[in-house]
Amino acid sequence: MGSMNRREFLHTSAALGGAVVLSQIIPGVWVSCSKAELPGFFETEFGITDALCQKALGTALSKGGDFADLYFEHTISNWVSLEDGKVDRAYGNIDLGVGIRTVKGDQTGYGFTQELTEDAIMNAASTAATIADEQPTSVAKRFIKKRTRNFYPLERLLTEIPLSSKLPLIKSVNDNCFSKSDLIIKANVTMHDQQKRMMVVTSDGVKADDLIPRNYLSASVVAEKDGRQERSGWNYGGRHDFSYYTPQVAEKLSNEVVDKVVILFDAQQPPAGEMPVVLGPGVTGVLLHEAIGHGMEADFNRKGISTYATLIGKKVAEPFVNIVDDGMIQNRLGSINVDDEGTETQKTMLVENGILKSYLHDRISASHYKVNPTGNGRRESYQHYPIPRMRNTYMLTGDATPEDVIKSVKNGIYVQDISNGQVKIGEGDFAFYVSQGKRIENGALTTPVKDINIMGNGPKMLRNVIMVANDLKLDEGGTGYCGKDGQRMPVSFGLPTCLVQSMTVGGTQRQGAAS
Amino acid sequence: MSKDMRRICEYVLQTAKSVGADDCGVGYSKRRFVEVQYRERKPENVKEATTQNIGIEVYVNGRYSSQSTSDVREAALKPFVTNIVETAKLLEEDPYRSLPDPKYFRDMQQIDLGLADTNYNSITPELRHSMAKDLESSCLDAGGDRAISVTSQVYDTFQEETLLGSNGFEGETQSTVSYVFVEMTAQDEGDRRPNGYHYAVNRTMKNLPSCEDVGKEAAARTFELMGGKKTDTETLPIIIENRNAGRILGGFIDAMNGWSLQQQRSFLIDKKGKKVGSKVFNLIDNPHIKGALGSRLYDGDGMATKKRDMVKNGILEDYYIDWYRSRKLGVEPTSGSTSNLILPPGKRSVAAIMKDLGKGILINGFIGGNSNSNTGDFSIGITGTLFENGKLSQPIAEMNISDNHLKFWHKLAETANDPWKYSSWQLPSLVFTDVVVSGV
Repeated sequence: MGSMNRREFLHTSAALGGAVVLSQIIPGVWVSCSKAELPGFFETEFGITDALCQKALGTALSKGGDFADLYFEHTISNWVSLEDGKVDRAYGNIDLGVGIRTVKGDQTGYGFTQELTEDAIMNAASTAATIADEQPTSVAKRFIKKRTRNFYPLERLLTEIPLSSKLPLIKSVNDNCFSKSDLIIKANVTMHDQQKRMMVVTSDGVKADDLIPRNYLSASVVAEKDGRQERSGWNYGGRHDFSYYTPQVAEKLSNEVVDKVVILFDAQQPPAGEMPVVLGPGVTGVLLHEAIGHGMEADFNRKGISTYATLIGKKVAEPFVNIVDDGMIQNRLGSINVDDEGTETQKTMLVENGILKSYLHDRISASHYKVNPTGNGRRESYQHYPIPRMRNTYMLTGDATPEDVIKSVKNGIYVQDISNGQVKIGEGDFAFYVSQGKRIENGALTTPVKDINIMGNGPKMLRNVIMVANDLKLDEGGTGYCGKDGQRMPVSFGLPTCLVQSMTVGGTQRQGAAS
Repeated sequence: MSKDMRRICEYVLQTAKSVGADDCGVGYSKRRFVEVQYRERKPENVKEATTQNIGIEVYVNGRYSSQSTSDVREAALKPFVTNIVETAKLLEEDPYRSLPDPKYFRDMQQIDLGLADTNYNSITPELRHSMAKDLESSCLDAGGDRAISVTSQVYDTFQEETLLGSNGFEGETQSTVSYVFVEMTAQDEGDRRPNGYHYAVNRTMKNLPSCEDVGKEAAARTFELMGGKKTDTETLPIIIENRNAGRILGGFIDAMNGWSLQQQRSFLIDKKGKKVGSKVFNLIDNPHIKGALGSRLYDGDGMATKKRDMVKNGILEDYYIDWYRSRKLGVEPTSGSTSNLILPPGKRSVAAIMKDLGKGILINGFIGGNSNSNTGDFSIGITGTLFENGKLSQPIAEMNISDNHLKFWHKLAETANDPWKYSSWQLPSLVFTDVVVSGV
């Protein structure tokens, strides 16, 4: 062990055992790293110099192109799980590499390598260069390091947290679940943490790096009553320091997941067909993500394939409807300090007072529309080129009270929890799956409902938002992700209680049929 | 097969033992891929790279941990393996963790499954670009004035995998995949811009259909979506098109999984040997079809694979149970996942079947939706076309179907003669009666 230097260790250890294991392997290795947000990680740990970056970017632009960029990444991910009462499994992954992109207009050449050697980097740069066929483009003589605000500061690196600190939390969630209800027959609890370091260097002289945490504590339970089984799941997380995970959070998680499953034994299938839908506050913001968010990603509009392609500046909703995509919320899963192209994050208005305001841009689309990028150029990893992606997407509060919204509905559905959704960009048709909700009958919440898909059309749904309440809530989870073009991206959502006049509710009974 | 890959795997096994592991399994894979996308008759994205990953699982005093990394240098692997062993020691004991008994791979068949295109290295950049151009051109020509945007893609990959276990298992596989894809967006009424696509995938590039046919089909499928709107909520027969049938079947297969069964998250617990569908409902898992996308000699545990009847004449015959879950459940292992899943085709075409069904919906796509593996309830958005007496009429959108798997598969009335060949699940179009379709 004594011969291993610090650089090799950082390359090669997921450090699942955390400090406890580290002290057995190479004592003190993290001492100089104990303060988070170290600048120059790739420079100091992997020898990535400005000269090397200039050479790689020069190769990427050796056949021309508008610009090129390098995206270095080092990510350590850990999972520890409990099943059948025991914390008896742990998984980890280390990813390291650099992606090199050459952009010419709306064309992209891309290569990547998992070896941070000069030869491998130059080969990947040569691959990226094949997209162009002109005279070489010059590279900036120096790179200016971008300083940004930090929306997820860490007191300690996640890789410093010993496994022994996680075990009691995981166990307590399990114990709480079983003690809270005799109906619980199975519980699964997982703690995940991920620490991503990235650095972007662009041919026009920008250099930006970030230390991005992601973590969650999740639980799912199965309950049994009178021979029938139901399940539920919940999680808390985001981009937190480990100090977020207190015994109180563990208890809140247990309470949430048990409360959610117990009520399902009273749930029924709602009648199928068109009806008013009230979205409760919080994770129901998935509705916005599907109904408008994707359609506002500028690549879809640049290509003319989004239903929103001609609607900028037009009225799309009532004046009390305001929708934002916001990368600047402390510790939220969709927050970023800087995007994966080196553009500082921002809060972008999608709909302001009912008017469609701005698409979500990466550098390619911003250039196409001759606007500034909005900091939405994101990528799953160094193996992917960036494309416009959402961050935290939510609707601002309105004036109504949640009670008023519910009271206004004679016969409809109240949505409490959504597990997933999908949209067809061109048609604007979207769907979301309601894992938990209630019927609304004569202005009051009545029978629980579950396992129904609700469909709508984005522009039509926006026009049909007729009440917005004053209780905006953002999702507090850490497991949410969005899939697009084969890339998974952490995102978050939020919504105040709001009423959509009509959507299509799936079900096994027609309205008016005997139950 | 790369001797280097085997040497590195052997090094990991030796290292794991030397630092305290009782047993160790290691899987090392390398993948080279090339992707070319065209739009507006020029390359939009060109991407090419080689990736590698080594996954290591260790067993220490009845404890288990696993990790993976892309750094396979011996100097890096030693501390990496040491850390996995040290991590495992901190976890609780799990008496069910072990590598499989060698009897489950001792008699593994040694047959050539035809997983790799022997001419893969002859695929040139020029060929890929030419194919992407042809795919796009064909779709643009068929789309005519109504086409707003067409994107084509050609993708191919070569993969090598070596799997070694300290229980004596040795597995090596080389495989290739070639894939072509075209999508078209067209202008419909108002702001609606339907997007349709078509694709084909095969182990060997020369076995793909012509680029012209794939492009034309993408345009035709886009036109099928034009004018889509919701219709009345009613109970109707439905036909789920072959390429989409897996989306519904997936909810049933999830409940056959050992994890779902052992964790009591399955509506199929205690259903083995019982009727779970109509007589037409048959599922065969066949891992030994030459050149097929799901073929394999061994599974993820290293156990030899074999052909199995999973559902026969509507009776549930078997589950998907990996080694670990088999020990927890106290049953024989099968395999933890599907290989080539065959639902035998019928004799009639979809067109012929439609003539006998009166009014119904031909489903050509799903959107959103989910399935509850505990209860079997599912609900999912659909697109498709209404038909009446064999004739397609109104395209539909913004609609749902909902049902329960324990009832739904009893409604399977017929399978068409069109098994989908571009997937490891070779499913034909499926006909179900009396399904509630919700719309207006």
